[in-house]
Amino acid sequence: MPKNDEGSAIVSIQDVVKEYHLDKVVVPALQGVSLTVTQGDFLSIVGPSGSGKTTLLNLIGCVDTATRGTVLVDGHDTKNLSDRQLTDLRLHTLGFIFQSFNLVPVLSVAQNVEFPLLLQRKLTSGERAQRVEELLEKVGLDKHSKHRPSELSGGQRQRVAIARALVTRPKIVLADEPTANLDSVTGENIIDLMKEMNKQEKTTFIFSTHDAKVMSHANSVIRLADGRIADSKAKAGAH
Amino acid sequence: MSWILLLLRISFRNIFSSFLNVIVGVIILAATFFFVVGGSLVNSMDKTMSKSIIDSVAGHAQVYEASSKDKPALFDNWQIPDLDPIPDFSKIKGPLLSDPNVKAVVPEGINTAIVVYGNTIDQILEKLRKAESPGTRQPKAVIDSLKAHVRQMISVVQTDMEKHNKIGAAGSVDPQSIQDLQRAASPAFWAGFDADPLNHLEFLENKIAYLVPDSDQIFLSYVGTDLDAFAKSFDRLQVVDGQMVPSGHRGMLLSKYVYETMFKLKSAHRLDQIHEAVTEKRQKIAKNPDLQDLVRQNRQQTREIVLQLDPLSSQKAVSILQTTLGSKETDLPKLLAAFFDTDDSNFEARYKVFYGQLAPLLELYRMKPGDTLTIKTYTKSGYVEAVNVRIYGTFQFKGLEKSSMAGSLSLMDLMSFRDLYGYVTPEKIAETKSLEKEAGVKFVSRDQAEADLFGGSSSTVEQAKQKPINDAAELGGAKVKRVDLASQTYTQDQIEKGVVMGAAVILKDPAQLKQTMKEIQAISDKDNLGLKVIDWQESTGFVGQFVNLTKLVLFFASFIIFVVMLVIINNAVVMATLQRIREIGTLRAIGARRFFVLAMVLTETMVLGWFFGTLGSVLGSGMVILLGHTGLAAPNDWFYFFFSGPKLFPWLNAGSLVGAFIVVVIVTCISALYPAWMATRVSPIQAIAAED
Repeated sequence: MPKNDEGSAIVSIQDVVKEYHLDKVVVPALQGVSLTVTQGDFLSIVGPSGSGKTTLLNLIGCVDTATRGTVLVDGHDTKNLSDRQLTDLRLHTLGFIFQSFNLVPVLSVAQNVEFPLLLQRKLTSGERAQRVEELLEKVGLDKHSKHRPSELSGGQRQRVAIARALVTRPKIVLADEPTANLDSVTGENIIDLMKEMNKQEKTTFIFSTHDAKVMSHANSVIRLADGRIADSKAKAGAH
Repeated sequence: MSWILLLLRISFRNIFSSFLNVIVGVIILAATFFFVVGGSLVNSMDKTMSKSIIDSVAGHAQVYEASSKDKPALFDNWQIPDLDPIPDFSKIKGPLLSDPNVKAVVPEGINTAIVVYGNTIDQILEKLRKAESPGTRQPKAVIDSLKAHVRQMISVVQTDMEKHNKIGAAGSVDPQSIQDLQRAASPAFWAGFDADPLNHLEFLENKIAYLVPDSDQIFLSYVGTDLDAFAKSFDRLQVVDGQMVPSGHRGMLLSKYVYETMFKLKSAHRLDQIHEAVTEKRQKIAKNPDLQDLVRQNRQQTREIVLQLDPLSSQKAVSILQTTLGSKETDLPKLLAAFFDTDDSNFEARYKVFYGQLAPLLELYRMKPGDTLTIKTYTKSGYVEAVNVRIYGTFQFKGLEKSSMAGSLSLMDLMSFRDLYGYVTPEKIAETKSLEKEAGVKFVSRDQAEADLFGGSSSTVEQAKQKPINDAAELGGAKVKRVDLASQTYTQDQIEKGVVMGAAVILKDPAQLKQTMKEIQAISDKDNLGLKVIDWQESTGFVGQFVNLTKLVLFFASFIIFVVMLVIINNAVVMATLQRIREIGTLRAIGARRFFVLAMVLTETMVLGWFFGTLGSVLGSGMVILLGHTGLAAPNDWFYFFFSGPKLFPWLNAGSLVGAFIVVVIVTCISALYPAWMATRVSPIQAIAAED
């Protein structure tokens, strides 16, 4: 049952275990993680390499399913969904920001942003154009809408990626190390932008990072170590 | 729909995005180019070759007796097909012409003959015999000249024989021959010649003539036909030398090609071949082993010329050659050898001297229009038939002058053809009857044959009494005269009422061939004509199958190209897909379904196929159009026939163009199926995984 109002749980994870099978060796990535993310949160997942940050994001992002335990995303138990249902959930409920931006190189900035809308097939071309323009303005790239990604700087590319992630008005935006490929000033700008979007759109942001500065912007921080939650705190002043 | 536009947009922009795409593109381009050019060439050749075949002998269709074991094989000169004759051509002509699309029906039959040539010495001796005979006696000067020519030939052969005797194994030369030659060369022999010319001639004819080795056998393939109808229906026929056989007469037209290659003085023909290669094909003797071989043969084989020249002509030839070569040599064979030892610098000058100065002393052809040839064939049952046929001239098919294939067949009147094939003609029946009567042949029944022929009291077998032959007395004073076949004339009716081996059918509208063939078969069945109809392609055996063969080769080559394309494109697209795993994973992560990914890879490959396929078609079409202007030279005389002339001017064939394009695009798509499926298996996780 979807819960849309602010403050209610948008992601709910119960005793999740995720194991990878490498040849005959079982590699545990998550070993019993439980977590609730409330709507409108700005959550940072931190931890050393191999602590399970990416695995946790994959499970929330519906690109992977848990070995054991329950993952509820916007009320859907991802274990029970087919590939197509997971795909549609990603398309309509989730937005993604990648460490290396992952834009389609042959499409312009505006076309990249428009891409998820085309997949959704809900809006007319006029509505799409309006939505794209709006978002490009918000991320400050309205002047660059016709450029190709290769003509932009790293920070600009990540802004395009943010616009693409937000263009469908998703409930959750997932970002895996969004600032890792950027210098610290640009990285901070990107986090500021995300934060602003979080405030304006009430979109839930869940991002992984190992940068303390970036972490400091988060409302909540979850610290992972060896596939378990080592520490979880909601920062003062959140909500 | 907009997502399809998006796919197309991505595809178009991706055309040159990777090196792999360019590889795929070049393969597609090359394949389309090949199919367009190859397809058009084969198609054009199909048309020109069918024109060659149809216009030269075959017509559009051939009819023949349905009970025959084989079917007509018009250009297959090695084996004469086993055909049953059509008993009366006049009975089939009318019904066939009643079909509205039939323009003409021309009787045709193919046969092969052997023409044997006597030695030059035989011919000279015959002249000498005539010159010495009462009634045809010639002045002494003529006789002396002929004698001198014979003596010269003897000396040539004697020299050869002595050389041969020296290098050959003991006993390889018959000592009797050497003795005979010595006798014939001796002044005593010639001193006594005039006193008893006939005995001397007999000695020369029996003991010497066969030692002069320049006789020849020529195999001659010919079509027996109604010559007037043939010339009218096959309008590419041109008479080159002499004249057309007059209407209703017996006679032959030799193929110009055969006339040049078989009947011309060999040295002259070789000079012609070199001349053509040097002037028309711009080849160099120094660089071409075939031409060098011709030069060598001319240098070594001068006897044919030496034997032809009498002493007076020999002297003239020697002086011409001395002047040309600036030599003091007096031996004619040596001079000729030096003369024929040509290279690129002196060939044209020598060629001019040969035709300008030497040729007038020589008989360039063994036979001239107006001469009569004795044509000898074996009938189906193995008997030898021989008929004297007058050669009226030579002919060629316009545009096919240099094709040995079109030139392989000479033309013969239907009457002579029937004689040679062993048919009983009215004249033959009359001749046989009169011979039977005159010779007193008795009818011997089969049952009585043994007793009659070998029984002790047989009255059938008589001991032949030796006595001089006296034609007049022997044949009871019957008017024995040779029927002069050459002056005999026949009406069209006589020509047509009789057996033929088959007939060519020429149509008004060749496009209706299949339909008309059905109609002809229906007419035959209705009127009980007992005919079978085959089209030109079937009637020309291997030659007709050649286009099918080239089509098969093209088909096979296409198949290999498809397989190669399939493998390379498949691999290239797989590699390209592997390179794009992150991009594909990203699309999957942000919500693209598997079908979208599949469609994306397929669309991209299809767009590649479409883009480079169009480019290849355009380039291929350009190539065909260019070749259509410049022409594609026939590499040898076979292709001369297939191209229906020295060059093929191919034209663009819409079928090849569209077919090539469609096939290439389809093959490209098939090659992309596996990588496209592979792309759908890319997990969105692979977009998120950090770049390492």
